[in-house]
Amino acid sequence: MSAQDWHFRGRCFKFGDDIPHANKVIPQWAISGRHFNPDELIPHLFEGLRPGFHKEVKPGDVIVTGENFGMGPKMNGYIAMQALGLGLMCESMPFLAYRAALGVGLKVLNTCEGITKITAQDDEVEIDFASGHFINHTQNIEEFYRPVPQILHEFVDLGGSKGWLEKWNKEKKAARASG
Amino acid sequence: MGMTAVEKILARASGKDVVKPDDIIFPNPDMVIIHDGLVAAAKEEMDELGIDEVFDPDRIFFVTDHDVIYTNPRAVERGFKNRIAAKEWGIKNFYDAGQGGHGHIFPLERGIVVPGMFMFDNDRHCTNVGGAGAVAFRIGHEVSTVLATGTVWTQVPKTVRLTFKGTLQAGVYARDIGFVMASGFKKGGFFGMGIDYRVLELAGDLDQFSLDQRVALTSSPTEMRAISIYVPPSAAVRAYYDKHAQRPYEAVYSDPDAEYEAELELDIGALEPQVALMGGPQNATPLKDVAGKRIDHAFIGSCGSGMWEDLEIAAAALKGNKIADGVRLFVVPGTQDSTKRLQETGMMGIFLDAGAFVLPASCGVCASGRLGPTHAGEVSISTAASNQAGRFGNPDSELFLGSPATVAVSAIRGEITDPRTFDSIVQFGQGS
Repeated sequence: MSAQDWHFRGRCFKFGDDIPHANKVIPQWAISGRHFNPDELIPHLFEGLRPGFHKEVKPGDVIVTGENFGMGPKMNGYIAMQALGLGLMCESMPFLAYRAALGVGLKVLNTCEGITKITAQDDEVEIDFASGHFINHTQNIEEFYRPVPQILHEFVDLGGSKGWLEKWNKEKKAARASG
Repeated sequence: MGMTAVEKILARASGKDVVKPDDIIFPNPDMVIIHDGLVAAAKEEMDELGIDEVFDPDRIFFVTDHDVIYTNPRAVERGFKNRIAAKEWGIKNFYDAGQGGHGHIFPLERGIVVPGMFMFDNDRHCTNVGGAGAVAFRIGHEVSTVLATGTVWTQVPKTVRLTFKGTLQAGVYARDIGFVMASGFKKGGFFGMGIDYRVLELAGDLDQFSLDQRVALTSSPTEMRAISIYVPPSAAVRAYYDKHAQRPYEAVYSDPDAEYEAELELDIGALEPQVALMGGPQNATPLKDVAGKRIDHAFIGSCGSGMWEDLEIAAAALKGNKIADGVRLFVVPGTQDSTKRLQETGMMGIFLDAGAFVLPASCGVCASGRLGPTHAGEVSISTAASNQAGRFGNPDSELFLGSPATVAVSAIRGEITDPRTFDSIVQFGQGS
């Protein structure tokens, strides 16, 4: 994977504080029914908060949220964000929500304190998730946030838990065959 | 700078001299527990990836507590698949339905879990082990990664130290403190901070808490998303494990110069019995606010109140009494060993004479009402881990939480009742 994959530039989509995963990020039925296919999930991403969201966004766009985003350790909504090529920056997230987002390979920063004050809906923003370097081109503001830890870059590049496990298994089998 | 007890345990498990908050580590667990709800899904996931073995069958424990008597076809199928998984992976520590009991209780009671241990577990209520001075981290569906590779990325949490001051009054119990702690850590709560992914380390006047009460202390902070509640083992806890530990152990304590994110205090001496209103233990209120509320349903058990002493408290209240007409009371021992002990001690007779049901050792009603659910409009008081809408099956039931003593006396009176109005409870409280 190239450094380019960690670098996003696009339109800012803003959401508020305390948005739970169930019924706000993605409908409860998709969670309870264990729907993990991105094509099924995408049309329903943020449908209660911003109908038609999935038609507005382009790869490289960045979701910016307030505090306590995505409560509930579920991954369905993050699968849709990842498939749409979006990045996610939050003032704060419950840790297990952050873990679920990384677990599907989403580029996410969970400690962007103050970001909602320096961004507005539709701003043109740029973020390098590997370094934490953020630029709001519309407002001409620059900031640094805590990046995704270096040790997890490969995990995220592989698409999270499943990809990482696939690679681990492939290497184990190769080692066994050669040994 | 020193380390907290949990940091020391994580450092040891990850082969490091020192770890600090926010470090990413890959700990090597002393054991891994996975419950019956997730075994089949983990097996399917690993089969799909072509992974046909687990990292160490001897360190993996399958426990069965969510579905123990298979009340629907899906549960029967899952039980069947769990047995296949255990066989194919060579899991010797497979506690099937009817064996062991509640997976967050029997390993503690039997000394399978010991002080100082580090574990992974798919279920968040694994925080129970903190009552014995062990550490278990909840990893949810990523348990598959651990089953295959033996580890998973782990961020070292920050630690908040909470010092208890005072001695509990008779009739007030660890679960009452738990409800108050949860309300303090909710948004806008009196502690002024949350404990999401924090270790909550308890300190201060802890010697008054038995192992069983320590386990009860860990329950409600878990609902506020603490990743671990650490109760430094007392001499009594160490004595228990000196006798029962199935492996060598070393109790771990924080260094005097360990760094905490925050240091808080709680006066427990003035505490009165609490009830948690619908929605979660954080909705705690003094019991007197809802005293007299009529109930239909009562339940004593779950990971939060499934230790032997919880049953003893309930029996002290129920001895010689009958539960009220129109109330059904479910008593769910935490373990098979406790169920046997109920029979040996005559306590089984006390529960049956009072008109209670005694269900098989399991999560009981707390697992989405698989056993003993409620109907719309019914009112329940229980010792469940939580009481959000639908927890007992029907989203339109009204669910309260209380201590085992509160639930038992409320079942007798048919309405929410202060346990301090029962002499047997007051005397029991003074004796324990």
